Order: sequence, then C-alpha cells, then structure tokens
Amino acid sequence: MKERSAVLPDNETSDAIHPVVEHIADLPDALLPLREEVLANLAMLAQIPAPTGEEAARVRYILDRFVATGLPEAGADEKGNAVGFLPGKTGRRTVMLVAHLDTLIPKEADHNVFVQADRLVGAGVSDNSLGVAVMSMLPRCLDELGIQLDSNLQLIGSVGSLQRGDHEGLRFFLDHAQRKIDFGLVLEGIELGRLNTFSIGTVRADIVCDVRPEHERGYGADSALIVLNQIINRILKISIPTRPFTKIRLGQIKAGALYNIEPNHGELGLEVVSDSNEMIDRIIGEIEDIVTESSARNAIDLKLDCFFRREPGGIPFAHPLVKCVVNVMSQLRLQPDQSHRPSELSEFVAHGIPAVTLGITTGETHIRRPDFVMIDPILKGVAQIIGVLLEIDRGACDEQ
Amino acid sequence: MNNEAWLAERTFHHSNFWDIKWLVEEKQRQGLTISLCLPTYNEEKTIGKEIVILKSELRDRYPLLDEIAVIDSGSSDRTLEIAASFGADTYLAEEQLTECGNHRGKGENLWKALYLLKGDIIVYVDSDINNIHPRFVYGLIGPLIKDPEIHYVKAFYDRPLAFSGGLRPTGGGRVTEILTRPMFSLFYPELTSILQPLSGEYAGRRSILEQIPFPVGYGVETAMLIDIYEKLGMSAFAQTDLDTRHHRNQETIALGRMSFGILRTMFNRLTRAQRANFQEELPKIMRQFNVQNGEFEQVEYFIEEIERPPIIEIDAYMQKFHPELQAAGP
Repeated sequence: MKERSAVLPDNETSDAIHPVVEHIADLPDALLPLREEVLANLAMLAQIPAPTGEEAARVRYILDRFVATGLPEAGADEKGNAVGFLPGKTGRRTVMLVAHLDTLIPKEADHNVFVQADRLVGAGVSDNSLGVAVMSMLPRCLDELGIQLDSNLQLIGSVGSLQRGDHEGLRFFLDHAQRKIDFGLVLEGIELGRLNTFSIGTVRADIVCDVRPEHERGYGADSALIVLNQIINRILKISIPTRPFTKIRLGQIKAGALYNIEPNHGELGLEVVSDSNEMIDRIIGEIEDIVTESSARNAIDLKLDCFFRREPGGIPFAHPLVKCVVNVMSQLRLQPDQSHRPSELSEFVAHGIPAVTLGITTGETHIRRPDFVMIDPILKGVAQIIGVLLEIDRGACDEQ
Repeated sequence: MNNEAWLAERTFHHSNFWDIKWLVEEKQRQGLTISLCLPTYNEEKTIGKEIVILKSELRDRYPLLDEIAVIDSGSSDRTLEIAASFGADTYLAEEQLTECGNHRGKGENLWKALYLLKGDIIVYVDSDINNIHPRFVYGLIGPLIKDPEIHYVKAFYDRPLAFSGGLRPTGGGRVTEILTRPMFSLFYPELTSILQPLSGEYAGRRSILEQIPFPVGYGVETAMLIDIYEKLGMSAFAQTDLDTRHHRNQETIALGRMSFGILRTMFNRLTRAQRANFQEELPKIMRQFNVQNGEFEQVEYFIEEIERPPIIEIDAYMQKFHPELQAAGP
C-alpha cells in the first residue's frame, strides 16, 4: 500500500474529508496514472462472453484481479458471484459495491473491442463491462491514491442479474451476507451523473402459448402468433391511471421461424411497473383473467408466468447518502439525473439497505450493434465513486 | 539436438510463463532491459487496444517492459496519434537514421527499432491483432529469461482466419505450408521444426539481432530464421504456443506477392552460401493478372526486397550501443 497520495501535500493539515484528499475535484487528475489500466481491464473483460447463466469465465477473471490486487478475501460464493472483501482500518461500516457481470449479448456474437482515440467500442462495454471493470479496480485506485478507508469494502460481481436471472446472484448474497451491509453502491457503465435512489414496483411475466400443430388444427383455429395478437389487443384495453405512475410494457414477442408455417408456440414478454403495489396487483389480475379466458375459449395451452417481482421503494431525496452523492457530483461539476432506470438497486431496497445507482461515463448502449463508452469522463466517474466512499467513511451519510 | 528433441525441449506454451511477477524479478536479477516494438502502417483500428492492454499489464502493473514504441511506415490514418495518446513512444521510420536513407516496409521499421530502442531484448509484435493479450509478449520473453542459451523465440498459433461469417476454427499459414516449409525441407531441414516461421511475433536478444541483415519487405521473418540459424544453429531458437490470434486475412493474390519476396530472400541466402547459382540476376518484377469483361490484363509489381546490413555496420548505432568498440577502432 502507498503511504500518501499526490492529492494533498505531505505537510498539509486541513479540514479535508480525508487525510490525503483535500478536494474531490482533484481526484480525476490524481487517477490519471491508472487510465490505461482501467481501459485495459475494460477491454479484456468485455471480450469475455457472459450471457446470463454463463458468467463463469468473467468470474474467474474478476477473482484473478482481486487476488492480484491483494484482497485478503476473494472467491466465488455458492451462487457463483465473484466476491472480494477489503477490510477497513476499523471496519465500523461495510459498503457493498456491486456490478452485474452478465450481458444480453449471445456467446457467439463478436466480442472484439476497439480502442479508438476517444472511446471504447464493443458489445456490452457500457452494460455492464465498465461497471465491473471499475468495481474490480477500486482497491487498486484507493491504493494509488494512498487512501485507506475505515470502512470495509464488499465487492460483488453479480451473476444472473438480467432477464429471467431476476437479480438472483445479488439477492442470494444479500440474503446470506455474513456481515451487516450499511450502504450499497450499484455501478453501471452509463450515464455519468445517473443517480437512482428509488426503485419502481415491477412485475415481469411471460405469456407462453402452445397450440396444436397446423396440420392437426381444426378449421378456423388460430396459430400461436394470432392468439398472442388477440391477447395483446386485450391487454392494450386495460385501463391505466395517470397517477400513480403505472405502465404496461410489451417488450418481447417470440414466435415462428418460417414464412410458410404458422407457429404453434409463441411467447410474449411484458413488464408492469407502478409506484403502487395495488395497481400492479390489479393489472396482473386482469392479465391473468385474459389469459385464463383465452385458454379456455380456444382450448389451447396458455400460461402466465410471473417470474420477477420488485416492491416499489428506496431512500428519499433528503437521505444523507443522496445529499452526499449530490455534493460529490457538484464538486466534480456533474449534473445529477434522478430519472428512474432499472438496476440492482431494487435488491438493496428490498433488504432495507440505503443504496444508490451511479453511472461512470457517457456513451450509448445498443442491442444489435456494439455499445460505446467515452474515455475522457471515466476517471471523473471513478472519482465520483471514491468521493462517495470518502463521505460514507467519515460518517456523513449516516442517518441521525 | 535432432528435430524431435528440439521440439520437445524448446517448444513452450504461454501458460509456462503465467507468473509475470517471477519474470520481472528474474529480469531484474539478470539486469536485463526489454523493449516492445510495434511496427505499424494504417493500424488505427487495432493499435489503441494493443497499447492499452500491453502497457497496462506489462509496464504499469508488472514492469516487464521498459519501453513500448510504435515505429510507423507513414500511416495516413490516426495510428500515430492514437498510439501516442495511450502512452507509447512513437517514431516515423523515415525520420530516423536519415543518413542511411529510407525504404518503406516492415523490415525497415524492425531494423531501425534496434537503433531507437534500448532493450537487451527486443520483442516484435504485429499491430493488427484483434485478440491482443499480454501472453503475446510474456510468452515470447519467458524462454529468453528462463534460458540464457536461447537467443530468439518465435510465436506459433492455431490461427483462425477472420472472414465475413465469423471465425473459422483453424487454418492460416498458407504461405508457410505451400512455400516456406517445402523450401526449408529442401535447404534448411532443421528449420522445419519452427511451426510458424512467418508469424509476426518474435523476440530476440540484441546481441544476435544486431549482427544480421534485415530485408525491408516480405522476407524479414524468413531471413531472421536463416541468418540466426547459420550463426548459432538450432540451439539458439525456441517457440511458444500463444493459442489463437485473430487478425485480418489477406487475399491469395497478396500472398502471391509475399511469396515472391520470400523466394527472393531465400535465393539470396542460397547464392550467398554458394548452394545455388543463377546465371542471370533474378528479376524483380512479379506478374499477376486481372480479368475484366473477358479481357485479361497483366499487372506488374516491382518487388525489390532490399536488405539492410547488420546494424553493427552503422556508425550511429555503434556510437550509441558500443562506443567502446568504436573508440578501439577496426
């Protein structure tokens, strides 16, 4: 471990938030020697395919980084999460930093990363290879700056976060954590300035439709595609209030393979989000009725599978953690964006742990073409995380 | 050492050298300096990642490399700008050793690297590798640090060829199998044990590299093998399996021109050793054909295959690296 950092001169005694950090605004420059290391870590990580359920290679990579950094505890837990632990000087608080390892990119897709003058381009670099790369490098960054925290850092590269994974990795860890977690920081690649403090109530479901093969169907019987279309039309007629905020998102439809054969299997993926649990229950109940009725009327196999449920909740804007994050962002000249975006924050909400989701840089996320993240803002994003850790460490985020 | 014994003793896998920390300690104990040379010509798509990964892992985290330099043949894209922005030393080949004139080609860059870089060991890595990984460097340095009898290490791969449909699992090395290996079998049978004689990644000790001529163009890899073999024998060589290498595939017609250059380089060495004799000077024109609307058109390529002399014959080099010898005079 380094003794001192260049952020504050050796002879300086000040009212700085940490003995070696006088101004958070100076942190990005102090982190400059690590720029290539962050980029290299990101590029190497992003080139390891990790669709949900197949994150093992990324877990090994992250654990190797943890070991190389000298973390005294590093290993995979029962669920397969990459888990590292950096003990603080006093261990008075424990802060968990989590970034999901899985991606929406199929294993066989091109995972090659390109490093251009101003950006990194590649599948999944923004969601969420950058979050993982930075999470795994935080002990190294603190070491470079000469910062030793009083707080413990619990680092998690979580598996099974996306789609039907349903945050299972993080939920398992929080359900079985051996230490009390005082604060949570969820790291996402983009956007810098992102500050999520609450999670909207969410239910995700698949409607699975199976009809008899075309040659066995009676005259006038419909294909799975047509049945799903009828169900969509009925769902669209469900009345949605303006307040509380409520929305039905029809996000996925899968059916058929050929132009000339009507499909006998189809799936419709949907999400109901609302600030109100009652509203979610009412809408899901109505969808259930539609499915049951359609199944009976058409004599077909139709199922509603609700595989994901999150309660609405979070911490208020007045919470000291939020105030501290806003303060850190302000020192780094970042404009907080508190609009809601889904993340693993909801797991912390469900466990009653004060937590926020932070973005690291600017860029774009795509499904059918490679993402990109801009290089220049990354160190500011890392500085922001370290700034928040310092605020937590000095007790500024504790509730009175 | 026969071919089988050499293969068994001198063929490594990069994983043999995974312990980079040990390599760094041993390098320091032996008092060695190591330089990485990346020859470039319009490689803006791949150079950034190569530098970022190699610098981060093998210079910043583990100080195995003492310097990373890009030596460029006059790129018209942003190769040099990108390389410099990520912390590599950058040189335009034509601006170096100007008293020796300038020729464009990869071999020219490799030859000038001997003058520009300070390392006792020079690692050459091509700049078009999509799946760059630190193993491409430590896998080549490892044998040199491990065994002082080894002077030159060559990479080999199971090389998938990039093409529009994704990645083909095996292949590559067409010129090796059709030209170089048959020629080596005829004239340098021991060198056939080098599994991929044309691979663009290799590392050597300055002490041998400074003594051999460098063809400027296509023949530089072949020439290095033959010339080091003639000076030190097979015991100077090792090779390392670096697993897979993803890179752009060249069209067959371009490989034809490459083969022409390699053939000239080989014939130069055979005539130099008086093992072959041609009554007339070999032509420098390679002829290929295009067809358009049923008409065939001949295209002539002038491929001279100029060779740079051993760099110890250059005054500026001797002043920089062997001033004591130069002061002593001939």
